[in-house]
Amino acid sequence: MKDDQSPDSLEKLLSDMDSPPSDKNAKKRAMNLAMAEFNQQHNVKNSVKRNIEKNNKKNTQGFSFLPRPISNFLTASRMSIMKALNNKLFYSGVATLSVAVMGTLIFQQTYQAPIDPTSMTVDESVHLEEQPLSFAEKKKELGRESKDQARLRAEVEKRIATTAPVVSEPELFEITSDTSQIQPLVQSAAPVKNKRLNTEAGAAASVEIKADSQKLLAISSSPIQAPDILPPQGYNEEGRDKFESVEANPIKLVSEEPVSTFSIDVDTASYSFVRRQLNQGVFPQKSAVRIEEMVNYFDYNYPLAETKAEPFKPSITVQPSPWNSGKKLVHIGVKGYDIPRAEQPRSNLVLLLDVSGSMNSADKLPLVKQSMSMLLDTLHPEDTIAIAVYAGAAGQVLAPTPAKDKQTILNALNRLNAGGSTAGGQGIKLAYQLAEANFNKEAVNRIILATDGDFNVGIRNSEELKGFVERKREQGVFLSVLGFGQGNYNDQLMQALAQNGNGIAAYIDSVREAQKVLIDEATSTLFPIAKDVKIQVEFNPSTVSEYRLVGYETRHLNREDFNNDKVDAGDIGAGHTVTAIYEITPKGAGVSQSIDSLRYQDGATKAVQIDAPVSSAISEYGFVKVRYKLPTSDKSTLISQAISTDQVATKELAQEAEFAGAVAGFAQLLKGGKYLNNYGYDDVISAAQANKGADIFGYRTEFIQLVRSAKTASLIK
Amino acid sequence: MQSDEQLIKQAQAGNAEAFECLLDSYYDTIFRFAFKWCGSREDAEDVAQQACIKLARSLGQFRFESNFSSWLYRLVINCAKDWQKSQARHQSDSPNTDADQTIDVPYKDEPDKPILIRQLLHSLEHFADGMKETVLLVHAEGFTHAEVATILGVKESTISWRLHEVRKKFQSQFGQDI
Repeated sequence: MKDDQSPDSLEKLLSDMDSPPSDKNAKKRAMNLAMAEFNQQHNVKNSVKRNIEKNNKKNTQGFSFLPRPISNFLTASRMSIMKALNNKLFYSGVATLSVAVMGTLIFQQTYQAPIDPTSMTVDESVHLEEQPLSFAEKKKELGRESKDQARLRAEVEKRIATTAPVVSEPELFEITSDTSQIQPLVQSAAPVKNKRLNTEAGAAASVEIKADSQKLLAISSSPIQAPDILPPQGYNEEGRDKFESVEANPIKLVSEEPVSTFSIDVDTASYSFVRRQLNQGVFPQKSAVRIEEMVNYFDYNYPLAETKAEPFKPSITVQPSPWNSGKKLVHIGVKGYDIPRAEQPRSNLVLLLDVSGSMNSADKLPLVKQSMSMLLDTLHPEDTIAIAVYAGAAGQVLAPTPAKDKQTILNALNRLNAGGSTAGGQGIKLAYQLAEANFNKEAVNRIILATDGDFNVGIRNSEELKGFVERKREQGVFLSVLGFGQGNYNDQLMQALAQNGNGIAAYIDSVREAQKVLIDEATSTLFPIAKDVKIQVEFNPSTVSEYRLVGYETRHLNREDFNNDKVDAGDIGAGHTVTAIYEITPKGAGVSQSIDSLRYQDGATKAVQIDAPVSSAISEYGFVKVRYKLPTSDKSTLISQAISTDQVATKELAQEAEFAGAVAGFAQLLKGGKYLNNYGYDDVISAAQANKGADIFGYRTEFIQLVRSAKTASLIK
Repeated sequence: MQSDEQLIKQAQAGNAEAFECLLDSYYDTIFRFAFKWCGSREDAEDVAQQACIKLARSLGQFRFESNFSSWLYRLVINCAKDWQKSQARHQSDSPNTDADQTIDVPYKDEPDKPILIRQLLHSLEHFADGMKETVLLVHAEGFTHAEVATILGVKESTISWRLHEVRKKFQSQFGQDI
């Protein structure tokens, strides 16, 4: 029968499975612990009669594995400990309790288990009917206790540092002599019975504590003894995502500051990070939301520039503000020239991959590998790829290899494994060396760094790293950053690196996102068409009273920086779209200003108005200037265009602008919606729905879904 | 020698020696089942240790309504499940990642058997709740369906159904592999 193949052999396999005889030491250890627990249970029970069991259980739920105590510890004296245990039921219970408290402390540092040390406090104070101690006093005592524990732990750790992992007996006795410090702890941990503490019992307790110190030693030294344990995943990496928090751009008075200057930003990392959080039902932290990156995630159908020499032209749309009646949104959209595939330059790529222990998770290294093999497909056969990795140290995995040699590259990728610390700085240095060694003047020389941003070895100072990247940038090597993973994602550093390295920062949360960044938008990811793109807008004080730049907080430039070619700014890749949105308050027509006009400064404002040329004074809201450099040039070029008041946008442009407005509205909502009045998620949904357009890749549909998730999450929150 | 029932009663009353006696005689059973659940000595020892501690805590709740060993099995199963949960947090899904962790059962004649067992145990974890313990109790511990039904507190027909399901799944999933 065919059945023989599977179920029968399944049963046979199981029934044949013989467990080895149990280990005596393990048994003893388990029994000791169980006995201690038993004694504790019964002591507490006796002293406080009933209902403790119920309370106590709270402390002991969950699976609080103490790491296994491994040592050749005194098999002979175990008997005496056992005796002490049996005879002095109570004191062993006390000591166990103290270990439990200490264990909890240590435990909590490495493990976020559902154990609540405060519940212990509450429990004990509840039990203290026989000992009239006030809650406050009790608390004080417990505070002292933890100090003592800290001291003891420090002591034990010091000893571990100075002794070998296997502890010899004399060492142990030295630790025992420290138990004088622990005495107050013993007493305060169980004040119920402390009158019974005579000298003999004290000795017994110290024996027990010796055993406990031993346990503690084993606990703290077990990582040394078992280095082969996989680095813990996930659990200790929550809530350590690093974002720079920036104040939202304020509303500015045109009369005071008529000129606004910023650098463009084509990054999209923020959107994918926010999407990931929302899809998990978590409301993203405010600093993770960068409005411009959310807006620029989407591809807008702005008119294309025709030639490579003038790589883009701004399209300007003025629309009523969806969240403030009477105010208007000025959209400045830029779409970069898309290089036809035949004209694409060669690429000299260095993939710099983080293979440190922190990358050991399904959404990190495996996704990196997958993304990189996707990238391979978009390359020209003659493009070269080198792979460098870094963990504890940096190393070259693949010498520059032409992309047509696909199998070699894939093999190199597949060999990678995660493990070790993260010498990111060193990795970056190596990657630049590789890029420079194979530098091709005709090609785009680019390093693609894939990491979770956790640089913990080598150059850790982000300023220093930024400086390094900045110097290298001038030699013509670009640096793009792909962020992976969450929980420990260092967005701040990623942004800094990409901005200083003339590259983009994208966040890859899924294969789909990898597809978007590396395949659908491969040309924009790989080929820059303009660098140091800056935008300066001068508002017309006779038509506009206030303005506010939505987003771009991290990209602010000084007014004088605009014409200074030495000042670095964002880069645009082939086919990239960039949108900047200003919210303006037009003058007159009963629009309420957000900022009150000044009583004594009126004259000054008027003077400005009089100076302005009359013809443009009424027909223009402002004047947009864009400066950029061609990728190979060091001199910037200027494009300028006026924002006319009676501009009529084409239907398509209006649709794109309205969608961008919805995204900006959503991003602001996530950031708290300070300037949004009553604008809510439903408004976002209806505006986005109405302006979805063709949406070939489905990103806009996905956006609407995301807004719905955010709405739900915000209700729960 | 006192009977188990007397020992249990004394232990419940707080007699430490009785409890020690009880532990001593049941530790091997606990360990054996834990081993079958985890497939490795170290994990089994951890689970057994946890089960002993849990026994100390909850012995008072044993009401002699069922056989003590059935009750104990249930307790060990719960510990093993907790262990599994805590493991899941540490390890990725693939059974290959812990490949160097060996099953130290001497299968000298069949070197691939430990791997098979590990794969089997691993895949059992992904079945519906209750499947793994049913399969282990029936096939590995050799209990009858009725006995397993009392241990797990379900109907006998449920046990038969579960076994049938597992068999079906294995056929479709592993085919010739196992």
